[in-house]
Amino acid sequence: MSGRPLTIEKPWQRWLIRLGVFLAMAILCVPGVWVVLTAFRPNVEILARPPVWIPQDPTLNNFLGIFGLLPAQQQGLPVARYFLNSVVISLTSTAVAILLGMMGGYAFARYRFRGKGALFVSFMLSRTVPGVALSLPLFIVWSRIGLLDTSLGLIIVYLAINIPFTVWLTDGFFRQIPVDLSEAAQIDGCTRWQAFWKIEFPLARSGLASAAIFAFLTSWNEYALASQLTRTTASKTMPVGLMDFTAQFTVDWSGMSAMAVLIIIPALLLTFVVQKHLIAGLTFGGVK
Amino acid sequence: MSPWKSTTLALALAGATMLASPALADFDYGKFDGVTLKVKLIGGTQYEKLYTRIPEWEKLTGAKVEIVSSKNHFDLDREIKQDIAGGTVNWCVGSNHTSFAPQYGDLYIDLKEKIPAEELALYVPGTLKSAEVDGRLVQLPRVTDVSNLYYNKRVYGDPAVQARYKEKFGKDLVPPATFDEFKEQAIFLASPPNLYGTAFAGKDEGMTGRFMELVRANGGDMFDDQWNPTFNGPEGVAALQWFVDLYNAKAVPAGTVNYTWDDIGQAFAAGTLALDLDWPGFAAFYNDKDKSKVAGDVGFAVAPTGAGGKRGAWSGSHSFSVTESCPDKDAAVSFVVFMTNYDSEMLEAEAGNLPTRTKVFEDVVAKFKSDSNTYMADMFETWEKSLADARTPPLVPQWIEVSNVIWPQLQAAIVGEKTPKEALDQAADEARTILEDAGMIQ
Amino acid sequence: MTLFRSPRAVPYLLLTPALVVIAAVILVPLAVSLWSSFTAYNLTRPATLYSFVGLRNYARLLNNADFWWAFGRTLVFITVTLNLELVLGLGLALLVNQVTMGRKVLRTIMMFPMMFSPILVGFQFKYIFNDAVGLVNNALFDLGLITQPIPWLVDGTLAPLSIMAAEIWMSTSVFAILLLAGLLALPKEPIEAAKVDGCGPIQVFRHITLPFLMPFIFIAMTIRSLDVARAYDMVRIMTNGGPAGRTELLWTLMARVGYQNSQMGMANAMGYVSILTSILFTVYFYRKLVVARRYMGGVE
Repeated sequence: MSGRPLTIEKPWQRWLIRLGVFLAMAILCVPGVWVVLTAFRPNVEILARPPVWIPQDPTLNNFLGIFGLLPAQQQGLPVARYFLNSVVISLTSTAVAILLGMMGGYAFARYRFRGKGALFVSFMLSRTVPGVALSLPLFIVWSRIGLLDTSLGLIIVYLAINIPFTVWLTDGFFRQIPVDLSEAAQIDGCTRWQAFWKIEFPLARSGLASAAIFAFLTSWNEYALASQLTRTTASKTMPVGLMDFTAQFTVDWSGMSAMAVLIIIPALLLTFVVQKHLIAGLTFGGVK
Repeated sequence: MSPWKSTTLALALAGATMLASPALADFDYGKFDGVTLKVKLIGGTQYEKLYTRIPEWEKLTGAKVEIVSSKNHFDLDREIKQDIAGGTVNWCVGSNHTSFAPQYGDLYIDLKEKIPAEELALYVPGTLKSAEVDGRLVQLPRVTDVSNLYYNKRVYGDPAVQARYKEKFGKDLVPPATFDEFKEQAIFLASPPNLYGTAFAGKDEGMTGRFMELVRANGGDMFDDQWNPTFNGPEGVAALQWFVDLYNAKAVPAGTVNYTWDDIGQAFAAGTLALDLDWPGFAAFYNDKDKSKVAGDVGFAVAPTGAGGKRGAWSGSHSFSVTESCPDKDAAVSFVVFMTNYDSEMLEAEAGNLPTRTKVFEDVVAKFKSDSNTYMADMFETWEKSLADARTPPLVPQWIEVSNVIWPQLQAAIVGEKTPKEALDQAADEARTILEDAGMIQ
Repeated sequence: MTLFRSPRAVPYLLLTPALVVIAAVILVPLAVSLWSSFTAYNLTRPATLYSFVGLRNYARLLNNADFWWAFGRTLVFITVTLNLELVLGLGLALLVNQVTMGRKVLRTIMMFPMMFSPILVGFQFKYIFNDAVGLVNNALFDLGLITQPIPWLVDGTLAPLSIMAAEIWMSTSVFAILLLAGLLALPKEPIEAAKVDGCGPIQVFRHITLPFLMPFIFIAMTIRSLDVARAYDMVRIMTNGGPAGRTELLWTLMARVGYQNSQMGMANAMGYVSILTSILFTVYFYRKLVVARRYMGGVE
């Protein structure tokens, strides 16, 4: 996998590319950076006319406010609790989705069985159902079986959302690992199970890493279903908590931006750490 | 603690509260040891202050309160409907609102059967009346809303502006008394992009409600006695024309058709609006130096009248309701009365909300005056004047649905896709279909 | 137990947990909403779930101009955004692929918008496009390019473009990352050979890079057409379908009819039309993908 298809020779071309990269990155960053800046501004500055570009009076009050650490305030938001819920729900559903998805992907890659093609397509099609159409029936079913407003309830939902993509990626990965490797190991006395963990799993690792980051980001940021299926601090996640800043008459932009920063940072760190695997994992996962 | 001791303690507490506020004396809050009351309450800073009183009620009655949900009213409405659909109404007390209440059918009990008439007599009669659905008191009002004018004194007090206005119109620049004057001034004062004449809620029930207010001020109404839509009559067309004219003259921000209350409030607080016809809950926010640039320069005036010489005074109340399925109805009733009793209402009023108990109105103004907070005292006196005209939207289950066919048509006329008459005729047709389907129109 | 030990059962056993979860979360609710689309189900009157009205909801939809406008707008929205995201994502991937310094940081920045919850993107762009205090208008004013504010979220042309811009900002990264993966996997030899033969960069791109990328493009298209309905959260916050229905998409219409008007039966009928449409999109891209896979020499 070599990364440089076109060799650029002339310096002006090099500079053109640098300019292009810079502009592209600026466009990708500005809306996000604006949110970050807003998180450190006092409310008066946010809606000022004429506009205040650079924060004149940077403040941590918005962060202190959402944790209830400002003296003048009666109470903060249970942000720590939302954060914990988000972490538990996203990590658990990601881990289980990877496990179940890997089992499915292995089945598709290594076995012939009846209904295989149809099953594979219907796995993917299960994701076409828009959340808006699912939310009410899910609510009714979940409330009947006691999964409403529990972390488990949300974990199961995110599993269903994330499994199809994981199956797809891992299927592609297992396919490109030659069957002979595993067969050779089995001749050497390994069971199929041992052969899987020793030979195939390590080779598929970067594929799993990229499936995992996609699954994590989907669960971490999901709002439509979470807003229906969670109700209290028992299971409310960060994106749902964002709506706490909108009351009937007012939207607290500064508080909301501070909360947004808290949502983005963990996702950003995680992506930064695993992005090498991510690229490698996507390369062959879906294609072959 | 022995039962005997706890009774004495309760008596002592009751006695203490009695001394503090004589109005309380009649109502018996009861004892509900071991009861846990599940409640769904409207969230948001201006509503949550009241909830600091919950521990007091817990202490008084021995019951526990568990807040199972706290959201803004649109989300709460959705959640309550889901509960009805899913059969998960396992809570006792819910926040409610007069515009939403008719939709919920027999979810909530008739509080008249549980609360003595003497106690109910202490509430503002008109407010209480509009909390009824089909003659049943399904909710106990906690704060009332009706809109009046806020104006930016920096604009209205500017001698140069005053002189120009006098030269052009031959009269002094004072806050408008009629909607025609309102329009005239909004257009005159606007100098975009840093100052607009006004802004209005341009979507959702906010748009329908303001329109209804103007229709009524012009002497018309939304429906006749048989529920036939009448808002497409001349009064309605004139009302819609008012919005169209403001929009075309660029006296309102062009984005106003996408605004709801928060956007308007933020704009006025940022000093970019000269006039704002808005709810009482904003008064404290506008005068808060940390949040508002116009703090110290906010004036009040009673809402203008329309061509019919009347005020539309679109009004509604936030309230508490008790569910039919509640196993501890007495505790729930005790809770909702406590949350709207004299002390609770004083707390609401001091935060700038319009209370629902008659006596609190006088007392809070007196209190503001003795604290030399003339700003809030002024605000209450202004708002009290418009309360006599206050009218809710039609209290039928289909109101929100009807509103949802009206406001997109109003928008279409405002942005110039249709003439007001065309837009209103189509909205009237759609509204008629809904009311026919519901069996309201025979 | 012999059944479970038979090698034929193994793939089914491996797939069972995944199938159970998907059946519970997707199929059961889907069956409930399919049934309710044939009833006069009203959210606040649970008994109406059993009042069967046959095809009435669907028949009404056929004559409902608002619905078909929203339907058409949704198709345009999906087509335009997916294609633009593809083109921009490809451009972004090509650019980033050229840079050798600070790759890790650059790639993380490239994925930056993926960290944003759709609901957050909605709030962010509602604020950015706000006519009075928004970032875009403020910038244009201060640069002296405009003297009157532009009503981004209101104007008949600009409002749909604004929600598309937000959607494109949110999702171009997905294309970029998938296509970058494809570019990195590109074998070097054919390109070198082509260069020796005197091909210019554009020819190399057209005849070698692009065909090689096709499967990646179809994968990205398939993935995105699967979860394009995520845009609902964003549109709901930005305009909620307004003004005057100019940005009304199927999803916003469905939510309003179902939850605010309580007509869940009707909303679910709309939902089924929307699901069938996205199935068509997905199957189309998937078939393209299968063809491209064959070209790549992958196993069926």
